[in-house]
Amino acid sequence: MLRLRGREYDRDAALVMAIVNRTPDSFYDRGATWDDGPAFERVRRVVDQGADIVDIGGIKAAPGEEIGADEEKRRIVDFVAGVRQEFPDLVISVDTWRASVGRAVCEAGADLLNDAWGGYDPELAEVAAEFGVGLVCTHTGGVAPRTRPHRLHYDDVVREAIDSTVALAERAVALGAPAESVLIDPAHDFGKNTWHSLELTRRLDEMTATGWPVLVSLSNKDFVGETLDLPVGERLTGTLAATAVCAWHGAQVYRVHEVVETRQVLDMVAAIRGVRPPARAVRGLA
Amino acid sequence: MIVGTAVCPHPPLLLRELTGGQDVGADLRKACEAAVASLVALGPEVLVVVGGADTGGRREPGPAPVRAFGGTESAGGAGGSGTRPEEGALPLSLGVAGRLLDAVGGAVPVDMYAVAFDAGPGPVAELADAIARRPERVALLVMGDGSARRGVKAPGHLDERAFAYDERVRRALAGADPSALLGLEPGLAAELLAAGRAALQVMAAAVARGGASYRPEVLYADDPFGVMYTVAVWSCDC
Repeated sequence: MLRLRGREYDRDAALVMAIVNRTPDSFYDRGATWDDGPAFERVRRVVDQGADIVDIGGIKAAPGEEIGADEEKRRIVDFVAGVRQEFPDLVISVDTWRASVGRAVCEAGADLLNDAWGGYDPELAEVAAEFGVGLVCTHTGGVAPRTRPHRLHYDDVVREAIDSTVALAERAVALGAPAESVLIDPAHDFGKNTWHSLELTRRLDEMTATGWPVLVSLSNKDFVGETLDLPVGERLTGTLAATAVCAWHGAQVYRVHEVVETRQVLDMVAAIRGVRPPARAVRGLA
Repeated sequence: MIVGTAVCPHPPLLLRELTGGQDVGADLRKACEAAVASLVALGPEVLVVVGGADTGGRREPGPAPVRAFGGTESAGGAGGSGTRPEEGALPLSLGVAGRLLDAVGGAVPVDMYAVAFDAGPGPVAELADAIARRPERVALLVMGDGSARRGVKAPGHLDERAFAYDERVRRALAGADPSALLGLEPGLAAELLAAGRAALQVMAAAVARGGASYRPEVLYADDPFGVMYTVAVWSCDC
């Protein structure tokens, strides 16, 4: 069972987490929601499209100009507060590795800390405990934030992803974070080459078998691009194929750019799995 | 003595778990349940159900054949691993009847009979006689679907003859006219994919044999999916 902002989701519920970047330089949207106006419009649109969660981030994942904690806060804290005010029931996640930023966004109304860099700042889990908010525990292979994978290798990438994320999750709960709000994420492409990300997708059932709710972040990533030899902007079909496989394996939260398409894939896979009825079945039944 | 009859159709979509998120059969089910409730209100001592099936004969009560139509065990039509065949499931017509009876409630004992879809006058008369001879106050629930060929999008595509056939049935039901039902031709009904012809004729023959007069009421007559559904009740003051 997963609980976010007081709502409970059973294991078969699939949630869409819409990405909202407060960055001038993220790889996919290239600053489209850098300004307040477009950023709020993006939130309204994804909520309207049925997103269950928004994931607000102030620093792009790839290497680039260094962004300090003060600048990161300047980019997102007031925005989180504004989204909270406009959408009192919306689950707000914040993508940050810094405890100081985490504390500030929790005070502004965040419900979930998306620790995309795998516990790089160990105090972030303490913030989750302090505020009673959720935490996403990711696997990065121990790399520093905003670094690209370089010759990283694993005896068994799936085993290592499971072991490290479960250890982070158990630590967070031991610190006092709410157990039913802690998720694990294999973190496709973070500390991994394309082969690693493909194998994590193929064997995601081993990760869901841990019982921890699994978040996957696949959207338009390089492992899709390298697999299909397609640039950013032409990776939606590949993303959705990976989404379907993860859904089949029981992942619960999908961090995405495209909400509508993802929702359709999740609903379709849920119906194939037999955990969601068709919207309307009449053919052959009249 | 037959104190009353009710006619209902038996499309799978009356089984709530088979239509998914939308209850597309809600209006029809409501009419069917009202008809069955009218029947129960007549104070019968036994409720006899007659429905078409591949073969005739008495049937023990059992579940509706949800699995056979692709449904799974759990509520809401979704249960993941529903791969087991249902044991003892009734033919569709009797299974739908059982659901309607369950929904209406009441403590009247129920006997169920299947009549072969292609039954001719002999088997029809035999079952009708057995029902008409019963000494109890009998209420008869008959699963009497019309043609499934009432339009180009109908399950059996369009056959213009369907309209005259179904209108003949509707008028017979609206006029409590068993002889009109007995005149339906089995060959034509089969060509029109009218699944209720034999069952309707069992009802007509049983009622004709008893000789009582009935007040007819048609509760529903429409073809929202290209199949004619008619819901009717005949009540006797006896």
